[in-house]
Amino acid sequence: MALHAAVKGKLISVIGDEDTCVGFLLGGIGEINKNRHPNFMVVDKNTPVSEIEDCFKRFVKRDDIDIILINQNVAELIRHVIDAHSAPVPAVLEIPSKDHPYDASKDSILRRAKGMFNPEDLSMFGAENYAN
Amino acid sequence: MNKQEQDLPLKAVACELLDKIVLKQLHLMEEKMRCELNIESSINNGSIHLAKSRYIMGQSSVSTARLPTESSSDFSASTVCETAEEDGVTQLKVVENEAEDTVNPLRWFGVLVPQNMHKAQSIFQNAINYVVECVNVQLQIQTNLKNMEVLRSYISSEKLSS
Repeated sequence: MALHAAVKGKLISVIGDEDTCVGFLLGGIGEINKNRHPNFMVVDKNTPVSEIEDCFKRFVKRDDIDIILINQNVAELIRHVIDAHSAPVPAVLEIPSKDHPYDASKDSILRRAKGMFNPEDLSMFGAENYAN
Repeated sequence: MNKQEQDLPLKAVACELLDKIVLKQLHLMEEKMRCELNIESSINNGSIHLAKSRYIMGQSSVSTARLPTESSSDFSASTVCETAEEDGVTQLKVVENEAEDTVNPLRWFGVLVPQNMHKAQSIFQNAINYVVECVNVQLQIQTNLKNMEVLRSYISSEKLSS
């Protein structure tokens, strides 16, 4: 199974607004597998948050998906789930959408990386050596 | 030089290594933001072409209504990514799927689609490359985070013992 998947290549899935989904599917990442499960989800303003959450968790569980693209404004809705996902694969990439420009301060990965630079931790780098 | 390095206590070496990783991490974070901005401009450009096609073909002809649903026949993605291990970091790369049951997504929107649709397609195909580039940077950031954690706990344990 693993060998088969390696030969076939893994999928890029997308959760986002209409234009993001239409665009990336036009780019050729869309797939509907034998069980009729699509690898994309279109979110509009009426989509309940629980549905987005379920879809995200389903994509994380699928072993044929390597990248999950999610619009940053959608990611904000299910931030706690995204923050809880720490495994490198599938990689969750927050992408901007046409009406929500990219905000680095919201990005889960960048916030995690920035957390390493908080003042208490800096003492680890020898900051206390400079104090005296 | 070599002699000097040997003389350095283990802890100093660990600290120096940590310095290097932290510096690299800052560069990677900058790189990630640059990639995201590339993705953003691609999406913006692509959206303009989608909007132009929508103007030419009518409101509902470029919408989610045209995307395949669970009831349509199954097909494979034409663009997939492959994993490769590089220096202990998982890296992905874009490959064309060689499976036979791929479709041209343009056909969902009609047989004769405007030129803008073709342009939008090539822009989004390019955006996929940026996306994978960004994911690779992100994977490196995550590996670095883990390494920093390990080095830190090592340094603090050394501190306690000395």
